[in-house]
Amino acid sequence: MSGTDNKENGGSAFVPSRRTVLVLGAAAASTVVTIRPALAQTAGSVLNCQIPVPGPHAAGSYIGPDGSLVAPGTPGAAPPLARPLNGEEAKVLLRGSTPAGVNPQSAQAYANYIRRLQAGMSGFTCYASLQMPR
Amino acid sequence: MTGARYIADPEECVQSVALDGLSVLFHRPSGMTHIVAPPAPQILEALRMGPADAGEILARMRAWYDLEGDEAADAIEARLEELEAAGLVSRP
Repeated sequence: MSGTDNKENGGSAFVPSRRTVLVLGAAAASTVVTIRPALAQTAGSVLNCQIPVPGPHAAGSYIGPDGSLVAPGTPGAAPPLARPLNGEEAKVLLRGSTPAGVNPQSAQAYANYIRRLQAGMSGFTCYASLQMPR
Repeated sequence: MTGARYIADPEECVQSVALDGLSVLFHRPSGMTHIVAPPAPQILEALRMGPADAGEILARMRAWYDLEGDEAADAIEARLEELEAAGLVSRP
């Protein structure tokens, strides 16, 4: 096993100056442990955060197609959602799809409302979390 | 011996920090971090010389190290499968 010559090896920086003993170990001995990125752990809570549409400051308002708040009953506007969206549902909306329980004709208005959320508005932190790179 | 051939990402794709006998590898393309024990880092180094199967990797490592352990090829093969599952090596 150890009788091979100590060859120079093409100048690779990795070649040790002295021969080192390397124990290969048993085939069954695992040598790789993968750490999930910290953000992968937060992803669970991000997807469970909530975005009320509209927020409590505008309870009862309808949502215009552009995401603005309009008077209840405005033609073409979407009614308030009965319950807050969670992060996963908001993500679906922002991708242009319709989560379960949401009227497909209103989905675009809700997505635009979420996009217009600003700091300090209910649901903004949740929306901002969704924008973070993985 | 001939077996499945593997390739490793170039060195610049993996940031490596030695930690008292272990190495911590940050794989940039996947954003994943791995803690690896010998001989995994040495296998990755051997693969950076080009695609190889377990037998060729063993030959490259023998040029650098005194290898200890029975059934070396089986051990290398098992490590390669682990490294593949972790996304650190792949089959070309």
